[in-house]
Amino acid sequence: MSIAVNGDASSSGWQNQYYHVDQVLDRPGPRTDPSFLAGDGVKDFLRNQCKILVIGAGGLGCEILANLALSGFKDIHVIDMDTIDISNLNRQFLFRQKDVGKPKATVAAEFVMNRVPGVKVTPFYGKIQDKDEDYYMQFNLVICGLDSVEARRWINATLVNMVDPENPESLKPLIDGGTEGFKGQARVILPTITSCYECSLDMLNKQTAFPICTIANTPRLPEHCIEWASVLEWPRVFKDKKMDTDDPEHINWLYNTASKRAREFNIEGVTWSLTQGVVKNIIPAIASTNAIIAASCCNEAFKIATSSAAYLNNYFMLIGTEGVYSYTFEHEKRDDCPVCGGQTMDITISRDWTVDRLIEMLVERQDIQIKKPSLSTPTTHIYFQAPPQLEEATRPNLEKKVSELVDDGGEMTVTATTLPFSLSIRIKYT
Amino acid sequence: MTSEPQDIETVTTAVATGQPDNKTRRYDRQLRLWAATGQAALESSRILVIGASATSTSIMKNLVLPGIGHFTILDHREVTPEDAGNNFFFEGQKSIGKRRADEAVRLLGELNDSVEGRADHGNVEEILNSNPDYFLQFSLVIAHNLQPALLDKLAKFLWSDSSHPTLMVVRSAGFVAEFFIQFHEHTIIESHSESAPSLRIDKPFPELYEHAVSLDFDNMDPTDHAHIPYVLILVRALEDWKKLHEGNPPKTYAEKQQFKKSIQGMKKKLDEENFDEAEAQAYRAWTETTIPSEISSLFQDPSLSSLTPSSPPFFHLLSALHKFTLEPPYTLPLTSTLPDMRSDTMNYIHLQTLYKRRAEEEKARFKSLISKDVKIHDEIVDLFVKNAHAVLVMKGKKWGGFDEDRVTLGNDIANAKAMDPSGKETAKVATHLVLSALSLLTLKNPSSTPTADALKAEVLCILGPDIELSEEQLDVAVGEVARAPTADLPNVAAFLGGMVAQEAIKMITKQYVPQRGYLVIDMIDMWTGSVGM
Ligand SMILES: [Zn+2]
Repeated sequence: MSIAVNGDASSSGWQNQYYHVDQVLDRPGPRTDPSFLAGDGVKDFLRNQCKILVIGAGGLGCEILANLALSGFKDIHVIDMDTIDISNLNRQFLFRQKDVGKPKATVAAEFVMNRVPGVKVTPFYGKIQDKDEDYYMQFNLVICGLDSVEARRWINATLVNMVDPENPESLKPLIDGGTEGFKGQARVILPTITSCYECSLDMLNKQTAFPICTIANTPRLPEHCIEWASVLEWPRVFKDKKMDTDDPEHINWLYNTASKRAREFNIEGVTWSLTQGVVKNIIPAIASTNAIIAASCCNEAFKIATSSAAYLNNYFMLIGTEGVYSYTFEHEKRDDCPVCGGQTMDITISRDWTVDRLIEMLVERQDIQIKKPSLSTPTTHIYFQAPPQLEEATRPNLEKKVSELVDDGGEMTVTATTLPFSLSIRIKYT
Repeated sequence: MTSEPQDIETVTTAVATGQPDNKTRRYDRQLRLWAATGQAALESSRILVIGASATSTSIMKNLVLPGIGHFTILDHREVTPEDAGNNFFFEGQKSIGKRRADEAVRLLGELNDSVEGRADHGNVEEILNSNPDYFLQFSLVIAHNLQPALLDKLAKFLWSDSSHPTLMVVRSAGFVAEFFIQFHEHTIIESHSESAPSLRIDKPFPELYEHAVSLDFDNMDPTDHAHIPYVLILVRALEDWKKLHEGNPPKTYAEKQQFKKSIQGMKKKLDEENFDEAEAQAYRAWTETTIPSEISSLFQDPSLSSLTPSSPPFFHLLSALHKFTLEPPYTLPLTSTLPDMRSDTMNYIHLQTLYKRRAEEEKARFKSLISKDVKIHDEIVDLFVKNAHAVLVMKGKKWGGFDEDRVTLGNDIANAKAMDPSGKETAKVATHLVLSALSLLTLKNPSSTPTADALKAEVLCILGPDIELSEEQLDVAVGEVARAPTADLPNVAAFLGGMVAQEAIKMITKQYVPQRGYLVIDMIDMWTGSVGM
């Protein structure tokens, strides 16, 4: 990162405002890279030039915004599409009871600007997908504190696609954090250089999915009864009315319906809280773990922006259930990563497989996980999920055998509407 | 501070529909981790934090949010321009010159109306000298970068009686930090261990055994056959195996493979997944159900031999557990939680009922073994029985003992060297010692900035002539601390804020397992590690 000196970095604010941070900016440590330019230059870059984007103003986002502001980042942008819910208040500390229902990004930005004078936080209440490359190009760094896998895959792919080898400024370091209960991770992604988010998709915990036949015919657990209520009974009873898992009336209906089924089958343990947990796929979340992971992310942002110390290479994992256990390692780039790898992925299937079966496999596989994939070869559309006319035209192919459409060793392109990348696979038959 | 008003309508709808009240909704995401029992423990805790540093307020933020009962910030100083720049719980320039305790308590208090906060302008030194009993009104005391003479005095006082509050000592300088929890003894019923209790497949209780052998596997309807729960398949397969092997379970690798084959041989159709599941779980058949050594070692605890009616309930329960294991079938009480498995509803619920009934019977037996002189809540007994395979007794250490204990110190350094020749392990000990050296130097020369040379000399003095520490690792740690000896960096403070609060929550709720020894942190290479365990 280039550093230009213009003006006195300490002119705004008050004397000794940065007394603590300046101690590591005024002199190098034993492990600091020799390229570090201690003093006013680095402070000027951090405080007057560096522009940072925070994605998510929730559990991690609130912490990230506060830490960045205190560290001396002064031009911070934040994106979040959510509004504040009462269940956020046990950890999202920039929000109060009176803020329930308001956009997280706006309330968080205002709070931080009030609390830390001289910091500008620009909120955007909306989706990351609403913004284009030009928007993302303006930042020096991106920090991501999201709970959605889809959104992270999107921003990761977008930042990788933006890299232009001719233009070093187009490479935007992405710092990603995530938590679940007492566990969490923070990582530094240098798009196209280090392993990316997509490279590590198979490290995600597999979501428990109950087979439909268990839910319909042989329920054993309270969860099975709840899934029955939400997956089978709701659409049967309410037809086209969409279920809103944030509506207590809807949860209530599901709870009562599930309880009735549970009684019928002598199954114990259906509660309101479990019903809500299952249908909303709630992940436990606490202030302390968020604080640890957000601090790790901001510390990396600070180190990258200032070169005051080496940054993380490239993955920090924390487990806090039994003492404090952490593990720092280099996650390796995957050659066949659909986002940053460039190599075609080999998929071996039986000659009997239908296109439908292949699609099911692409959805299921831990290292692919593409919801609603569309398939094509260089010469034909095999199956397209959208637009409707194309879907209808290609639908008959679902029943056909893949081997009738693609030769052994033939290549196929897999795309998904929700993700800005395509996956090349090479089909081989057993 | 007041709690939220609730009108009669919300209260009655809540009762009628099972919908949670506002408090449950607010705490929903944490109740899923420590439940109502943990929450109740938090709400009755009283925490003191000495000094309103950035690290201290970060810790308190993560304790006020989940809802501790009370906190006091003890600080006689005023907010300086330096403080105002790195602490999110001061309001920038507006706070300069005001009392640190007042400002921090006011701004932390906003986070949660149900938490009581108090600002105390007392001087910790005076309190230690004139009224140390002051500290006894709290359940937990937290001290960040407290001057070593005062810290020693405080630690000594709190250690002097096992009923005194737990002390959490936190130190940081620039990118490095550490913390330590001083406690005498810590007992845990809900350790949330991931190890699963035995299903007693190798020692089936009579009803389970009879049910398994009564099933007519061969003449069963094919649909029913594909729905036999794996527990029953295993009990039956093991029984058949034992008949052919003089009553012994599979022992060698070859026998185990053969046993798995025999399970596959019980299939009527190739796609019966319940038998595949049984094969995958076959280890449960040859793993003997015994008392785990971690549990039987607890029976040696001196508290058991000197039990009186006033001993903590935990030890009465442990004593009952010991007695329980001395009777047939010489196991821990049966768990009533049956994992999910392939089966139809009827078979599964029937099996679950067998387990539940048996577990109730064993719990009743367990209860009859608890000393008649004590009264223990049924919910606690239930929790204890449910977690009997993973209860824990931790013995703590006094703060500061590690640096003085030459044998342990020498051993730790030697072990670190042996464990990881690249030096990462040694770096933990070195970082800890430099933080100790920094405290000592600040005490000796409060007005001068410690130099790298002085820090190094101090560390060598702690080490003495006969303990050797890698010069390279020591220089790195010394250099890092000398670079920023008084820096309470916002990100390090936030990181410690999370770590220390998390451990405090574990201590207060007596759930999950807290850190042993010193947890040392380096936020340059991004590692954490334990020393002086
Ligand atoms: Zn990749």
